[in-house]
Amino acid sequence: MRNVDVVIVGASLAAAAAAKRLVDAGLETVILERKELPRHKICSGILSPRGHRFLLENFGPLPPETLHQPTACRGVTFHFPSMVSMPMDFFHGTTPHLHRKYSDHWAIQRSGAEVHDQTSFAGLEDKADHVLVHARQNGAPVEYRARQVIGADGPSSLVVRAVYPDYTKQIPWFFVGQKFHEIIDCPLSSDYFHFWFHPGLGHYTWSHARDGRQIVGVGFKRGDNFAKKHQVVEQYLRDKHGVQLKPAADDHEGCAENFGPSLINRYLFGKGNVLVTGQAAGFLNMIGEGMSCALHSGAISGEAIVEAQRRNRPVQEIYRRMIASEVRRCSDQWNPLKIAFERPHEADFPEALMKLSWRERGLVLRDMWRFIVLFKEFKWGRQIASAALQRPLLGGYSMQRWQ
Amino acid sequence: MNIPPVEPGTVGPCPVAPDALQGIKRQQTNPARWNGAGWQDFVAALRSAGVELTEGRAACGAYVTDAGGTAYGQPHGVVIAHSAGEVAALLRTAQAHRVPVTVRGGGLTTEGEAVAYGGVLLDMTGMSRVLAIDAAALTVRVEAGIYWHSLAEELRREKLDYLSAPLNLTSSVGGTLGVGGIDVNSARLGCSADQALSLQVVTPTGEIVECSDTENAELFQRVILGYGQFGVITEATLRIRRYTPLSMHYYYYSSLATAIEDLQMLDRNDASDYSGILTIMDCAVNLLVAFDSDEREAAFRRDWEARLRGHGEFGFALCMLGHYALRPWKAGEALYLLKRKQAVFPEFRRPEYMRDGKMHDRSVVFSRAVWKHWGSRNMVIPDLATPADRFVAAVERGNAVCRKFFPHYTLYCVGIKLRPEHRPHYEMSCVPPDAEGWAYGCEFEPMIEGEVYSRDHFQAFKNAIYDIGVDLGASYYRFGGMMKGYIRRVFGDALVDRHLAMKRKADPAMILNRDVIF
Repeated sequence: MRNVDVVIVGASLAAAAAAKRLVDAGLETVILERKELPRHKICSGILSPRGHRFLLENFGPLPPETLHQPTACRGVTFHFPSMVSMPMDFFHGTTPHLHRKYSDHWAIQRSGAEVHDQTSFAGLEDKADHVLVHARQNGAPVEYRARQVIGADGPSSLVVRAVYPDYTKQIPWFFVGQKFHEIIDCPLSSDYFHFWFHPGLGHYTWSHARDGRQIVGVGFKRGDNFAKKHQVVEQYLRDKHGVQLKPAADDHEGCAENFGPSLINRYLFGKGNVLVTGQAAGFLNMIGEGMSCALHSGAISGEAIVEAQRRNRPVQEIYRRMIASEVRRCSDQWNPLKIAFERPHEADFPEALMKLSWRERGLVLRDMWRFIVLFKEFKWGRQIASAALQRPLLGGYSMQRWQ
Repeated sequence: MNIPPVEPGTVGPCPVAPDALQGIKRQQTNPARWNGAGWQDFVAALRSAGVELTEGRAACGAYVTDAGGTAYGQPHGVVIAHSAGEVAALLRTAQAHRVPVTVRGGGLTTEGEAVAYGGVLLDMTGMSRVLAIDAAALTVRVEAGIYWHSLAEELRREKLDYLSAPLNLTSSVGGTLGVGGIDVNSARLGCSADQALSLQVVTPTGEIVECSDTENAELFQRVILGYGQFGVITEATLRIRRYTPLSMHYYYYSSLATAIEDLQMLDRNDASDYSGILTIMDCAVNLLVAFDSDEREAAFRRDWEARLRGHGEFGFALCMLGHYALRPWKAGEALYLLKRKQAVFPEFRRPEYMRDGKMHDRSVVFSRAVWKHWGSRNMVIPDLATPADRFVAAVERGNAVCRKFFPHYTLYCVGIKLRPEHRPHYEMSCVPPDAEGWAYGCEFEPMIEGEVYSRDHFQAFKNAIYDIGVDLGASYYRFGGMMKGYIRRVFGDALVDRHLAMKRKADPAMILNRDVIF
């Protein structure tokens, strides 16, 4: 059995950030990854400027192999059924288009932690003063004895399943899939990430350029048909935006996502000596960018362990106190009052809206409302309203949705 | 694929380079931990040279963070300095084995400059003796690991005092000389680093060298305000003065700009011996003025007091009462001001330190108050130092940033008298390059008040303050809180590269205080 200070499950950006903090503080850290590294990761790869800053400050400049073409993204363009388009540049400059397979591997290597790939997490036992982690390496069982464990293994986290067996039944699940098309003609600017507020297309519809091809992505409530949904979007892009694409290549991909708006989503931070972080914990920015909050929450989980060991305090207490600001920041992104009156995002929606004519503004607001109605079945409306009001009245959000 | 437009005559920038981020260039400020290559050989060589090195988590764990509390890193081993010879042996061996050495005095850095990410941590507090006091020439020779507070204690016995030192209990002489150091008398006497007459320095290659403005002047210029890059200060000769108690006066303002203009007016005219601004947010701005002698105080009252636009305590209380009576929705802010006033003001008038209306031992009074009312587990004090003419703009912009990030905060502003003959010392330091006569500094101190903020929140706040400095052509002082990511932006590549070349020559293996500014 291997005896270490901390085991991190998953070789994601959140894991790299946590590992960086732990290794810097001299803690022996092992990262377990199910696949062989570098491993493929389903992701649009458009990082926010805040995430870019984190990568630069903690891991240094990005090497070219960590990026897709086009290497950068200028901002986001919203499209509406009324055919109004709103391009918005990021506040702090262009932001990288990460090739997750290589960027994650690069960050993990730069963190200095020991990586055990092809090692899948199989369960854990929290023994109060340590945690036993069971895993399988190339099929053979292996065990680790760690003081703390961090679950940074994404939305379908095995660590979350081990700690919260009922969680998967408690939240709505979505499926997000993307297909890659050779381009015949694409009037959509390759400088921007494109997002559609269109109830007819699905809950989450996007497109952007990657390595000479066009990504057509759809997100919907789990149970619907990916191929059918994708076909509708492809047809819509052709008819309404003049996007001429060749049939999709066969390297399409998709995964299950736990995104409800983070304003009302449940946050899971773990129990005892097991911490959960990144998207596994429920962090996701608006428009589905989860990398920057994964980096920051991952770093906080690492800092919390260092702090807990240094001060001899329970790690959960420290982690929950330190993570509160990230929860607040992430929740603000989904708070309609914040969006209307402040600037919680990294691009300026109100300013872009004010650039439109009065008629177009009316159309945009109408279309957004119709899009929001698509989520009616989840009964999020009242929860969002009450959470949005908590912020100005109580100065923060209730911790009741933390687990 | 669309090709992004490029303006004629420009080369298309790399869209993901650090400088693609608008506003500020970033670079790696949380360095990678040193990999420990050759550590055992180094330890053996060091022990055979007679240097005591402690390993193990208990010994190293004590140095895991600094006063900033946001950087975490552990050394492989710790050496507590006992003599210049020992420091020299350590640096010689480290140079040969390419092992990084991080020097720590009081550990009061805020950006992790005194945190070792692997390698050796050299704790200078083992060298903390006063070696000689010359009361006639008004100089003192000390070992550099001594705290200013301990130095003050020894000097008081001889009815002497240091010139100026940071207002806290645990900053060391060596660390302060390396970064700046300000006090409420800096507008008259300059920063702490300017009071050093000569130094004993151990160079990164392990030579013990005495330096001053006349002897090895170039090394002296580089080590003073040099962020620990060109040598370890082991001893220092400092100018001192006769001890005097203070008579204090406070004037209250509701406008930052007016208070700063009055502060600068007093400094320009040498109207007071001590001057500074301490605020409760931007609502209650306190201009503090103090004097060493009755004659100076009388001259101030005669010539300058009437020109100040601030109120006395009672007058200001009435103004505030009127202000908040008309703005009942700001009752919370008014209550906070009242609470803060009741907590802090008595600290500066504690009967055990007051005799005949004069304050005795300001080092203790101020330092105690600072730790008690401003200290916390995270010392988050980004600062800006600007020439006099841009100071109001810097403070007002910084104030807006504080308001955005924290419910409560304090601003602390002082002038720093510059010595024209020390201009070479100021190169690439906390002193803004174009400052003439005085530089002005402001610290932005959020009140943490038991809240736990994430490192990201603090970092974003500090970056927002530092960005103002870049925008205004300012610098950063006192704690050396100048992040590595800012130095090129502030001073330009030419100057930084020149210093880097000097550093490479002086420290071929780049072992000393790595990643602090280079």
